[in-house]
Amino acid sequence: MWAWGYNPWPAYAALFKESFGSGYGLASALANATPLILTALTFAIGARAGLFIIGAEGMMYMGAMAAVALSFFRLPSGLHALLALAFAAFAGIVWGLVPALLRILRGVHEVISTIMFNWISHFLAFYLVANVLVDPVRAEKTISVARTSRLPLLLRGTDLSLGIVVASAMAFFLYVYLWHTVSGYEIRAAGANPHAARYGGVSPKKTVLLVFLLGGTAAGLAGAVEVMGRPPTYAVYSGLTNIAGFGFDGIGVAMIGRIHPLGIIPAAVFYGGLQAGARLMQMEAGVPFEMVRAVQGVIVLALALPELIRIFRVFVRTLFPKRRLA
Amino acid sequence: MARGLTPGPFSQNVANFLIRAEGITKVYPDGTVALSGVNLEVRPGEVLGLLGENGAGKTTLTKILSGLLPPTSGRLLTPKGPVRFHSPKDALGLGIGMVHQHFALVDTFTALENVALGLPKLSRTLLRKRLEKLVEETGLKVPLDVPVEKLAVGERQRVEILKVLAREVELLILDEPTSVLTPVETAELFKFLRRLKEQGKAVIFITHKLKEAMAVTDRIVVLRRGKVAGEVETGKTTAGELAKLMVGTEVELKGRPVELSLELETKAASGPQREEPALVVEDLCVQGDTGELAVRNLSFELFPGEILGIAGVEGNGQTELVEAICGLRPIVSGKVLLFGREVSGLSPTELYRLGLAHIPEDRWKYGLILSFTVAENAILGMQRERRFHFLGFVRTKAVRGHAGKLVREFGIQTSGISAPVKSLSGGNQQKLIAGRELTKDPRVIVAAQPTRGLDIGAAQFIRDLLLRLREEGRAILLVSADLDEVLALSDRVAFMYEGEFTGIARPGELSPEAVGLLMGGMKGV
Amino acid sequence: MNWAYFWSLFSISLHAMVPITITAVGEVVGESAGLFNIGLEGILLLSAFTGTLGARAGGPLLGLLAGLATGLGIGLIFGLICAYWKGSQMIAGVGINLFALGFVAFGLQVLGSPGFYTVPRAVQLPPIRTAVGAFSPLIPVALVLPFLVHLVLNHTRLGLKIKAVGENPEAADVAGVPVELTQLFSTAAGAALAGLAGAYMSVSWLGSVTKEISAGRGFIALATVVFSGLRPLLALVGGLLFGFFESLATWIQSLPGIKEAVPWQFISMIPYIATLLVVAGVIGRARFPKSLGVPYRRE
Repeated sequence: MWAWGYNPWPAYAALFKESFGSGYGLASALANATPLILTALTFAIGARAGLFIIGAEGMMYMGAMAAVALSFFRLPSGLHALLALAFAAFAGIVWGLVPALLRILRGVHEVISTIMFNWISHFLAFYLVANVLVDPVRAEKTISVARTSRLPLLLRGTDLSLGIVVASAMAFFLYVYLWHTVSGYEIRAAGANPHAARYGGVSPKKTVLLVFLLGGTAAGLAGAVEVMGRPPTYAVYSGLTNIAGFGFDGIGVAMIGRIHPLGIIPAAVFYGGLQAGARLMQMEAGVPFEMVRAVQGVIVLALALPELIRIFRVFVRTLFPKRRLA
Repeated sequence: MARGLTPGPFSQNVANFLIRAEGITKVYPDGTVALSGVNLEVRPGEVLGLLGENGAGKTTLTKILSGLLPPTSGRLLTPKGPVRFHSPKDALGLGIGMVHQHFALVDTFTALENVALGLPKLSRTLLRKRLEKLVEETGLKVPLDVPVEKLAVGERQRVEILKVLAREVELLILDEPTSVLTPVETAELFKFLRRLKEQGKAVIFITHKLKEAMAVTDRIVVLRRGKVAGEVETGKTTAGELAKLMVGTEVELKGRPVELSLELETKAASGPQREEPALVVEDLCVQGDTGELAVRNLSFELFPGEILGIAGVEGNGQTELVEAICGLRPIVSGKVLLFGREVSGLSPTELYRLGLAHIPEDRWKYGLILSFTVAENAILGMQRERRFHFLGFVRTKAVRGHAGKLVREFGIQTSGISAPVKSLSGGNQQKLIAGRELTKDPRVIVAAQPTRGLDIGAAQFIRDLLLRLREEGRAILLVSADLDEVLALSDRVAFMYEGEFTGIARPGELSPEAVGLLMGGMKGV
Repeated sequence: MNWAYFWSLFSISLHAMVPITITAVGEVVGESAGLFNIGLEGILLLSAFTGTLGARAGGPLLGLLAGLATGLGIGLIFGLICAYWKGSQMIAGVGINLFALGFVAFGLQVLGSPGFYTVPRAVQLPPIRTAVGAFSPLIPVALVLPFLVHLVLNHTRLGLKIKAVGENPEAADVAGVPVELTQLFSTAAGAALAGLAGAYMSVSWLGSVTKEISAGRGFIALATVVFSGLRPLLALVGGLLFGFFESLATWIQSLPGIKEAVPWQFISMIPYIATLLVVAGVIGRARFPKSLGVPYRRE
């Protein structure tokens, strides 16, 4: 930041004060964390299986589209939201299907296939937002999610919706799944030692499919909670400006959370807080808030160092005594 | 870095030693003490044997001597003064070169390119000339322009040796060189080493085989648990004395004297029950990693209550054969039958349900998941058994019980079943794998290199275990590169060479010459 | 259809080929030494931005140099983390990408207009004007580079060392090759080339910098590396293929009737779909260095 002539310290101070110091700040942090938890889970479950799935961004777009699309129908509230979530999850899964199959049938590395699909999704979403789902009254956004399909707010005057509950529930579900079910054991085994896993009867093909299924669900849900839980518009803007980036941020969050579902939650809150505070940072210190992402990148880079990882692991373990299978 | 040795048969420096190690100690980052206060002197014109069992520290010591590892404390001394090696390059500059047990060769390079890697200053043509001259002088024939991965194991070792010799070494260190050689090739190697000796060079010959040490060395240093247990002149000692130095005198395990590689008692076999064969392999062809056939039209039968050993130098298709039988490698043609039922190409889980257990040769690749706990490893392969899960959830109590039982019954030393399995020693890891496989109550057991890298106590345990299983009427296929072990344990022995069996016989009926010939590829002896 | 039309499409192909080929060839060097740099995308993005800054400060050549230096700097950091400190290559690469995403967006905001910035014509790299059209001087560079790298990798001592380090670092170590240093050098060189490619995009070809100027090209370059099986000459073929797809997208759009029937968004997808198809069709042939992605530790 010095390079640009900004004074960093008041900026950081403002950042942290705002993100964590006030009730409103905390609520914003949590609201921001909601989609991040989910996209981080996508990457994390892939990583646990030894796969590098960075397609959360693309899957998330499709999930958002699906959620909005369901608002064309009239349904009783509650049910409407549930169906929208389900449809979004389904969209996420479908979007991950092709990379999964490419990996299984042709051995295509998922890094390449998921990135390509991210871009395809990007353009497809552009198209849908501008033509199919567009709001007839205000063309720069899609139709708003129907009232019956919105996620109720948890705190009046904030952005915090039931979405955080959905996201946390998914995180807990994946934690239990990976460490307390047979199928989860097999996924972890495949990631830790694919040869021994094969010897132990784990089917690598089924593992890939399963992981993409779970990851696609999480990412699709991420798109859904963003549109269904964000006042005041509850819609997607053209250019995808209000949902773009969560997929990639999720990767960083997953790494900071040491690809563990329970670690991801605090990591996402931390990052969400940074994002919330970043807006204030912009106002008070004039630093554009995109800087936050750059900071996150540096943190992740630092995490690549094995020494730091060891220290971090010890730190996390004191917070969350990780229960192994036995 | 001292550069002080002039090459040539009679050194001008009247130094009576090439290099001396003083007080060498090596402690690994995880706390293992590999060496402790080792003193060693290497003299020109002699073959020095470095003897010890697996894990005694021989390889570590020579890696320090050749510059690959730094000592934790202690120093290396040359006639010109103390010296510190920062990389193998420094040691090579002093004329010290090492031929590793697992060759340090780049598979995709040709022999010439592999040698060129270490000699950047020579042009290709000059290098070729020097190599060709070396090949003539030493008699180590090897094609120079074929990618090393396509060469047979014995040829690859020759490339490795040539690579070191091309750098004009005064001290040649060989780490277990005969583990990949047939008896005939071993004799050739010994002839070559004697020639080196006559030229005034020094050789360090690492081995755990007493017979070889006695045959080719002038002086022997015995290492035990990282310390020098003794130093003797070969001519003035006996195998028995060496053996005692190797293992120490506290040697009673389970009330029985430890069996050494010199004389393994051949257990009197009760004879296999000649009923239906447990395992039948018919005309099996399996492809290796490089695309060539590793197993060629192999056929044999294995009966319940017998141990069929497959002897042979590693790299002749044994690994691929075992992988194919156990469902880890596809079969190109031929059949595998388990109790009369065709099982070619079934997955490991299906084979296990049909009564086959596999103790894998590469325990870190196939046998264990190092980052998992002992308990999690204890059920690997069995995680879908009824007793271990309920509605998809893992029955933690059942798993813990099972793991605890294994630890108790097999005497596995561990800090607890929640400890990561990588904290266990090699022997304990192998016990865990063996125990796990055996709780599957198998009728056929395929054990590949089961005692490799284990200390004597653990190795003995595994061997006794196999014998016990045979008494129980199970069928055992034992693959081992340790010839003495195979001959001692098996009821019948098959010799594998380049993908085929050169012969099957009962160990008692074979003379050492026959064994040598069979291992070297001569059929029908 | 007239000739000028075809030539313009041909020109687009060549121009689009440049960043892919240069980046891919650089990564071939890095991967031959055993390091897998997933952060190419980030490097492209960052150096497109710094190239602009450099050009603003001192003209187009300085811009290119700035981009190269950016790539080199990142490559050195990456090499330090991964080769010397045995850090995780995947994590470090992702870190680079994230950092670039944020930093460039941030930098663009600072420069004035959030989201994009047009490089003043005055400091753009002047093209070579020929009878048939204007071509960026980096096009011939991109055409020659693969041959140079091929020569170095396959016919020099340096190339031997690089390949040895990637295939069997222990053998190289024993032979006296400085493993970490060679890896550092290779990956930094590759990253520097990516840096050059990034600067090319802003200073020479597109004339502007946006948050998304890299548009996945870093990953397409990675796909090209896979396609090439670490053979630089095939990387050139891959780059040309991709350039072709990009120009194909433009061409389809201009066909009469298409423009109305098929929305532009779908046309834009073509290069990505094409990349997928190419990669899917080609996997399995290539043989990668045995120690790719595995940090070397002396035991």
